[in-house]
Amino acid sequence: MATTALTPAATAYRSGLYDWVTTTDHKKIGILYVINSFLFFLIGGLFALGVRSQLVVPDNKLISPELYNQLFTMHASIMIFLFIIPMLAGFGNYIVPLMIGAPDMAFPRINALSFWMLPLAGIIMLSGFLTPGGAAAEGWTSYSPLAQRAYSGMGTDLWIVAVALIGTSSILGSVNFLVTIFKMRAPGMTMFRMPIMVWTVLVTSVLVLMATPVLTSGLIMLFIDRNYGGHFFDPATGGNAILWQNIFWFYSHPAVYIMILPAMGMISEILPVFSRKPLFGYKAFVFATAGIGALGFSVWAHHMFTTGAVYLPFFSFMTFLIAVPTGVKMFNWIATLYRGQLTFSTPLLFALGFLSMFLIGGIDGAFSAAVPVDFALHDTYWVVAHLHYVLFGGSVFGVMAGTYYWFPKMSGRKLNETLGKIQFVLMFIGFNMTFFPMHLLGLDGMPRRIAVYASTAGWSQLNLVATIGSIIIATSMLPFLWNVFITLRNGEPAGDDPWEGNTLEWATTSPPPPYNFDHLPPIRSERPVFDVRHGRVADHGSQA
Amino acid sequence: MTSGTAIVVSHDDPHALEHGNRGISNPILGMILFICSEVMFFAGLFAAYFNVRANAPVWPPSVAEVGPIAEKFNLHAEPWFAATLTVVLVISSFTCQFGVWAIRRDDRKGLVRAIGVTLVLGIAFLIGQAYDYSQLGFGLGDGTFGTTFYTLTGFHGAHVLAGTIMLSVVLYRAMSGQFSARHHDAVEATSIYWHFVDVVWVALFSLLYVLPTH
Amino acid sequence: MPTTRKKLPRLAAIALPLIALLVAGCASQIPALYPPQDVTSQAATTRSLYDIVFLIGAIVFFFVEGLIVFAVLRYRRKPTDTELPPQIHGNNRIEVIWTVIPTAIVLFLFIISWQALNSVDAVTADPAVRVAAVAKRFSWNFLYLGSNGRPLFTTDAAGDGNFGELVVPVGVPIQVELYSPDVIHAFYVPKFLFKRDVVPGRTNEFDFTVDAQDVNQTFRGQCAELCGVGHAGMTFDVKAVSMADYQTWLQQQISQALASPPAAPSGSPAGGGGTPGGPSPSAGGAAGTSVQITAQNIAFTTTNVTAPAGQPFQIQFANNDPGTPHNVEIKNPDGSVAFKGAIVTGPTTTTYDVPALPAGTYPFQCTVHPTMTGTLTVK
Repeated sequence: MATTALTPAATAYRSGLYDWVTTTDHKKIGILYVINSFLFFLIGGLFALGVRSQLVVPDNKLISPELYNQLFTMHASIMIFLFIIPMLAGFGNYIVPLMIGAPDMAFPRINALSFWMLPLAGIIMLSGFLTPGGAAAEGWTSYSPLAQRAYSGMGTDLWIVAVALIGTSSILGSVNFLVTIFKMRAPGMTMFRMPIMVWTVLVTSVLVLMATPVLTSGLIMLFIDRNYGGHFFDPATGGNAILWQNIFWFYSHPAVYIMILPAMGMISEILPVFSRKPLFGYKAFVFATAGIGALGFSVWAHHMFTTGAVYLPFFSFMTFLIAVPTGVKMFNWIATLYRGQLTFSTPLLFALGFLSMFLIGGIDGAFSAAVPVDFALHDTYWVVAHLHYVLFGGSVFGVMAGTYYWFPKMSGRKLNETLGKIQFVLMFIGFNMTFFPMHLLGLDGMPRRIAVYASTAGWSQLNLVATIGSIIIATSMLPFLWNVFITLRNGEPAGDDPWEGNTLEWATTSPPPPYNFDHLPPIRSERPVFDVRHGRVADHGSQA
Repeated sequence: MTSGTAIVVSHDDPHALEHGNRGISNPILGMILFICSEVMFFAGLFAAYFNVRANAPVWPPSVAEVGPIAEKFNLHAEPWFAATLTVVLVISSFTCQFGVWAIRRDDRKGLVRAIGVTLVLGIAFLIGQAYDYSQLGFGLGDGTFGTTFYTLTGFHGAHVLAGTIMLSVVLYRAMSGQFSARHHDAVEATSIYWHFVDVVWVALFSLLYVLPTH
Repeated sequence: MPTTRKKLPRLAAIALPLIALLVAGCASQIPALYPPQDVTSQAATTRSLYDIVFLIGAIVFFFVEGLIVFAVLRYRRKPTDTELPPQIHGNNRIEVIWTVIPTAIVLFLFIISWQALNSVDAVTADPAVRVAAVAKRFSWNFLYLGSNGRPLFTTDAAGDGNFGELVVPVGVPIQVELYSPDVIHAFYVPKFLFKRDVVPGRTNEFDFTVDAQDVNQTFRGQCAELCGVGHAGMTFDVKAVSMADYQTWLQQQISQALASPPAAPSGSPAGGGGTPGGPSPSAGGAAGTSVQITAQNIAFTTTNVTAPAGQPFQIQFANNDPGTPHNVEIKNPDGSVAFKGAIVTGPTTTTYDVPALPAGTYPFQCTVHPTMTGTLTVK
């Protein structure tokens, strides 16, 4: 195995609890983010299992409607705000400085602050369950008037505070990423030699910076309505219920790109390494990513087509349009595989899973962009299918791919391949079994967010299949957890560059020393480590 | 173990320092980006205000709709106190900038004076705002007008408060000689923030006290 | 070997789209992949649109997945692959192709969906039936409106909040106005391939025409916007009948509504004599004249009242609808608001102190249920 070790391997050092709690090292903070996010993934998953066990049979009385509404609200809120967004921020935190050859993030102490706000926010949000009225139960979308004081309890206030805290953490993180990326790249790393992962983190950070504050303003307005006699969203006194929706979705639509772009960045790093070819169309990726980011601000009201309160043609048009840069990315990824030499290690398996599942989720979206079709499908299980195909089939598979890919760099040890493949197969099957039937349920008229359905509705078999699928997903976490445990305890040392990677993180030890690099290779393309390994292959550089 | 080609970046590169230190400093870039996010925060509040206002048949709401308290809503009748506050804040932006220019030419005493005056003006604004609140005669819960008025001006005031805290820290550090012409990022960053707070107020004042109602 | 390698991609390029088309066509025969059978003319439009989107979606799906599967099978790294494969960085021409073609496809989809939208969303000025659908936690109530826009009767005649049934004639436009006194709901009938939100503070309105061939069928409907713990049970039915049957039913409902006893005067609403929680200061301020207005069954029982000009007066307002908020808002002849009374939830009575009004005719309404109207004559 070719190695580009430039320094003697850093001796493994053991850091104590105090070090982890007070660290400002982006690598440790990144790992903290990943672990915290993964814990919330398990908690959010448990809530999902609760939802699925209530829906497994019709007329089920297992879970009361009061609790059910809390379960799906908290499932979504935790998965979005405490799992996927911070998980991707955590990977970005770990990887971006390494990929650009920097010694750390621009503001290490703010970085630590951003992280520690998250477990605190999670505790605040979950403490809603301990209040008399229970946790927030209005859906993660928290529409008014349902989210007003008259219809909800303290759990909602706790939810508001928690989400505002998480938003602040995100915004501080985005400032950190942007300054790091703009100002701390190693000599030779021009913007167009940055790994695509860094580009996606850059665009994501712009979205976080510009969209999240709008959500914060909305949360504050809702809090004022609920607690200080405000009248923003209360129609009875001149407020406007639709105003909340506009403010909320102005953030929450770009949020979905915040939740997918870094995962797309990971895929863009993994596919080339496991095809032994450069990423096809580097510049196209950059422009497509920027295009998705920009267009992402123009489509928010497609979540509001049935309100009768938005200008439908504009939002329909922009929503259709955003399919184009997304398609460009899909074709470029496939072209990367084309004529390559594929090695089906677990990272590649999850990356391929990403491609095929995200495609389905994207096609689902095209249906909803056609407004009359959306009139039929909005607020039904079709949307639940769509969102899970892009967020689970897309983001989660991307995160799993990134986990297997970068685990050796973070820990110095490679995860076991057999267990990884078992997890992939189980997860792939379980995921499709859970969410594909939901397309059919939505088409058949099953609305979202209903705690129970009648046996006469005809939805029983598909719900049963979906619940079994969810159990399989849960099962798939077991080989993964076991894998992590045995690898950390006794896994084979990975070395600096176990995958024959392209980018700078593979030019240092696994794990890297605290200051990241002893020496940096010359940076003359977007694949500096590849260039060194192959003595500067003639075909290098940007495009054909 | 190394591979064949020479792969060590020379730290003797005489231009390295210039490459690295070119352009705007990290903390100042960070402050500018942070202000972008704050602009979006106020954009959300302003959007809510415009929406509520456009949906109302009459703005400010009439006595018929919300009762006698609506008589207090006529801010346009008495804009003078708020106009004075505006002048105070605008002057403070100028004095703040004088401070920045002073330290750029290493005039440390000038910096202390200018920031001191800015801080006093900022505190004056806050006291004035509090006094204005006490005289208004309507509260946060008084219909959409009260809610939007206090939310907008309240959050602006909170930002002014944060700004005065930043100015105090800068003043303290300036008085203990921590700034020079070469190193005064905190002064620049704080002044950018202070200008932002001022611009938001000018927009608020125009919107609430000057813009014709319907 | 090299010849096969060259032929295979070309073969795939031809075969894949054909296979995609074939499989898409087969998929189109699987009933479950389709929405339920459409029963209105609007739904038929939506269904046609869905068919086209589905066909294109299926083709794209099989084509792109086919490419992925092909790459996975064809490009495994073999033990003989020691040299790097050709390091292709990109191809501008193909970037243009796979940008332009998808743009054309989505533009096409946008245009046909915009056309379909205009058809589905069209609202006629002259519907055969007008209904106000009131969605509240957790039931539906349908008020059939007469030609003057005022309710003739309500399907929740028992006043007990049980779900109402919407009876409509086939073949003619039915116009529905949506009202909610509490939170956002949504009117959703799966077989209409349609839903519309019911937003408090906003009146949404839509038309539907049930196909004549679907006469004597009942279509299930359900609230589709989370509204609280009873959301799952908030169902209703739409029953399509012939025009003759509808007219019969309509007359029956109208006579039943006329036959029910008129509302009791204030002070004795259903539920006992007291006025729970309703303030009624009978003294206070200007003397004397008191006007009685009662709200019952989402209508004002007295729609013509008189008050003296030039002096303040009081309105004794009785809200006889349990759990339902009402109020009285008086509008000036020019449409501006002259007086807006506080909203109270029944059963209760309250007193409004109305300032002096000059002589004239003033319409009044309930701001929660704008179909509730009346006229105040001041002289």
